[in-house]
Amino acid sequence: MNKAGTDIQFAICGSAGDGTIAAGDIMKRAAAAMGFHVIAFDVYPPEIRGFGKCISRIRVSSEQAYSLKEQTDVFVSLNDGHAIPHVGEVRDCGAVIYDDHLIAPVPEGGHISAHVRPAQIPYGLPIRQVSEQATNSARSRNIVVLGYVAGLLDMPPEPFHKVVNQKFATKPPAVAEANIKAFDAGFEVGRKVFRLDDVEVGSAPEADRGEAVMMTGNGAIARGFLEAGIQSYFGYPITPATSIMERLAVELPKAGGRFLQTEDEISAISATIGAGFAGSRAATATSGPGLALMTEMLGLGVMAEVPAVIVCSQRGGPSTGLPTKTEQSDLNLAVFGGSGDAPRIVIAPTNVEGCYRCAGMAFEIAEAFQVPVILLIDLYLSNRYETVFPSGRNVFAPKPRQAPERREGEEYKRFALTESHISPRALPGDPDMMYTATGLEHNELGKPGDVLHMKMNAKRHEKLKPATRYPGLTTCKRFGAEGKVDVGILGWGSTFGEILEAMFEAQEEGISCSAMKVVMLSPLPEEELRAFFDDCEVVLVPELNYQGQFANLVSGALGRPVVRLDRTCATPMAVADILAEVRRLASDVNEPAHAAAGGGA
Amino acid sequence: MAAPLHHVIIGSGSAGFGAAKTLREGDPDCRITMFTMDGIPFYHRYELPEIFRGRTDWRDLLAVPPSFYDEHRINLRRRCRVVDVDGAAHTVSLAHQETVPFDSLLVAAGGRAYLPENLTGQADLIHGFGSFEAAMKVYRDLPKGGSVIMIGGDMIGIDLLLTLLSTGYSVTLIVNAQTFWPHELSAGERAPLLDVLRNKGVRVIENARPVGISARNAGAPARQVALDDGTEVGGDVVMAFCGLASSVEFMLRADVDIERGLLVTPELRTTNEAIWAAGDVCQIWHDGDKAYKFYHGWKNVRVMGELAARNIQGAHEPFDVDVEDSIWVGEDGEIHSTFWTRET
Ligand SMILES: Cc1cc2nc3c(=O)[nH]c(=O)nc-3n(C[C@H](O)[C@H](O)[C@H](O)COP(=O)(O)OP(=O)(O)OC[C@H]3O[C@@H](n4cnc5c(N)ncnc54)[C@H](O)[C@@H]3O)c2cc1C
Repeated sequence: MNKAGTDIQFAICGSAGDGTIAAGDIMKRAAAAMGFHVIAFDVYPPEIRGFGKCISRIRVSSEQAYSLKEQTDVFVSLNDGHAIPHVGEVRDCGAVIYDDHLIAPVPEGGHISAHVRPAQIPYGLPIRQVSEQATNSARSRNIVVLGYVAGLLDMPPEPFHKVVNQKFATKPPAVAEANIKAFDAGFEVGRKVFRLDDVEVGSAPEADRGEAVMMTGNGAIARGFLEAGIQSYFGYPITPATSIMERLAVELPKAGGRFLQTEDEISAISATIGAGFAGSRAATATSGPGLALMTEMLGLGVMAEVPAVIVCSQRGGPSTGLPTKTEQSDLNLAVFGGSGDAPRIVIAPTNVEGCYRCAGMAFEIAEAFQVPVILLIDLYLSNRYETVFPSGRNVFAPKPRQAPERREGEEYKRFALTESHISPRALPGDPDMMYTATGLEHNELGKPGDVLHMKMNAKRHEKLKPATRYPGLTTCKRFGAEGKVDVGILGWGSTFGEILEAMFEAQEEGISCSAMKVVMLSPLPEEELRAFFDDCEVVLVPELNYQGQFANLVSGALGRPVVRLDRTCATPMAVADILAEVRRLASDVNEPAHAAAGGGA
Repeated sequence: MAAPLHHVIIGSGSAGFGAAKTLREGDPDCRITMFTMDGIPFYHRYELPEIFRGRTDWRDLLAVPPSFYDEHRINLRRRCRVVDVDGAAHTVSLAHQETVPFDSLLVAAGGRAYLPENLTGQADLIHGFGSFEAAMKVYRDLPKGGSVIMIGGDMIGIDLLLTLLSTGYSVTLIVNAQTFWPHELSAGERAPLLDVLRNKGVRVIENARPVGISARNAGAPARQVALDDGTEVGGDVVMAFCGLASSVEFMLRADVDIERGLLVTPELRTTNEAIWAAGDVCQIWHDGDKAYKFYHGWKNVRVMGELAARNIQGAHEPFDVDVEDSIWVGEDGEIHSTFWTRET
């Protein structure tokens, strides 16, 4: 759905090496510098191959948007072979921009102009020629076309110049100069074009939340960790989590912390649990296959009540699966994975700002509840860019630790059964508070034994319950209409953006509906969920997995039925799919006879 | 099963559009590709003066909605310039380096405004009016209530001239041999028509030839036209309406006969068996006059497009519709012309 004011989705499509992602990056940063809200998502080829299709999609809006749009307003082809299958995503009266002076002959249909629909607006320019004339090289085709778009849409060149200069700041000055020349050359061509599209760039909203920063979900997590005073990071690279590790490899040593790339995921979590045991704010990040390897040590963390933070960015599975495609199919693994009853806290932010805030609080929560915390995101959120407004002061800095007090004459009970089920936690080195921490079941002192197994199990579960009300953390939140509604949409993780967009559209159509995001997946905020179910005639759960893992989790916990919308399409959920289902459910609610007769479509 | 025939059409004006529609009606299975340099789908060019009455959104000008092309499986390829036709290999080459094979080719590339030779060096100071984009540029460059210097004043130009007058602009008309083209008039026949224009406030200049145009950027008027009698005329925009020159430059290797336009038989076939032509681009053999003749104007042109399509699909119909050609001053004191009779 289009927002009021500016709401434009750009898509730039090319081959790896064309500078597609770089052009998209400049566009999103320039738009953010102009004061617009930005959501962007890049699709890369599988990194391992190093060639293939890249698409950078960027939504620029004057109002907050929650997902990418299904239709693109301005589409740029840097490689027709890759771009042709995507021309269909351009809306009527949207712009399709391409090179109309190819250097090699193509057979019929090989040029993108053959695929532009009559309602779309074609804009051809000699991209390569303009680049060569401006810079003596065809390498700046991506920047030429960016300038063309800016000129065509009457966007100011200055923010682009600034971002280009920043982007090439580490290179010799000639690089930035050449790219500015390329931009300006494209800008001049675009400025002179008679426009037939109806894409409008309005003025940016007044900035009232401070300076916007462009971040990916992974970047936001790294930033949140750093602000929270992370001290140790152990990791093994895996798509789509690697960029967290790359960022911390650079930043953490500068902040006085320790970074270690381990030989595999088992070592990574072992070291993380070890560091957590020693009182270090420690984290690791992986994806589903890595988390699967980590589950045994995760169980140790639960049993030994060790704080640690594990990021899991989901991708298509099982096994190697779809390494560069998004999915939400590791929920079961994150919530239940491992041997025995191993309760842990699982937090699933729904947007980039949420990644920043959840990462900022994850250590504190892990320490407060003495348990591993899993931050569960997915590739779409890992790689998606959004404008974030970080708070000016660091709100996540660790508070001074209170060492437990030991009563005179009493043995230190690391696992004491208390009213809050939280026991006093000593760190190695605290005087007179040595204890054994193992994976074995134990008594209050930590000594192995099965006598208290039932009580200790209860303790490990019960202590987590207050986590759903942890101050400062939004564990669930309802949006849209208050009170009784026909359709409730319940979502988690990155899909919640699409859910919100669908809900707003449904509301515009007059459908009585509201949406609830659940950020804390373990333990579940059951009370709020129950209230939501009580208010909704029917609850729809859209998610990106085949089994309906979240639907199962919620309906299992609450004993309430849900309607599932499960997709494993290797792309984010389509807003249209959710909306269609909401419409169907709303009409079933209002026309039960129609529903009983099997009507739907 | 044999592959469906591929009919390629160059041009999406009245002739090209009429042909595409007729081809589809005659054969539901054939492939139809229509190349055009236009940015928007088919519209009646005679409606362009309407821009000055506020119809500035191109979507309001379209003859059929864009969905028509999808529904009729006509592959409309805009902003595609044909640079070469290989008459032996039956291929069309586009400026962007794509080569497209055809079974039949219909050339309906129309014509562009003819510019007197002595002014070609100043073409960039002359506003065109042959397409929506060109017309919009005139509309945007002309200040409200501004003045136009019109060289020639063929029937296309006179139509615009009358619209400009009724929407608050002023016009200077520099008369030449093409004034009132395609009507062929003697000086005596032209005089009462020019009087009508004078009475409406048009400054009519006869007996002087424009010899140079210059831009005056520092303040109005923005253009200055020098005449061969030593005088100068000022205005905001200069336009030339001196009839049409056929667009045939890409047909030199097509193995077809060309004079000023593409020469075709009464059935609209060129000297190449697979290539046909229709509309302003072609000259049709007239057996009575023993000459190839142009038949300008959208009514002739549309009939040609449809006829060519039927003949491509096997008919043998000759072109014999030459709509009445007359221009007169009516009892209402206005100029009337068969050229301006519009589709209702
Ligand atoms: C402003 C204006 C007013 C007019 N008023 C009247 C009127 O009142 N009455 C009347 O009878 N007639 C009028 N006409 C003339 C009438 O519109 C033309 O006779 C008619 O449009 C000719 O149709 P056509 O299909 O032959 O060519 P056109 O309509 O000229 O179309 C030519 C097509 O060929 C395409 N083309 C040309 N070269 C190439 C190439 N190399 N590659 C690809 N595509 C190419 C062009 O892009 C265009 O799509 C007017 C014309 C104009 C411009």
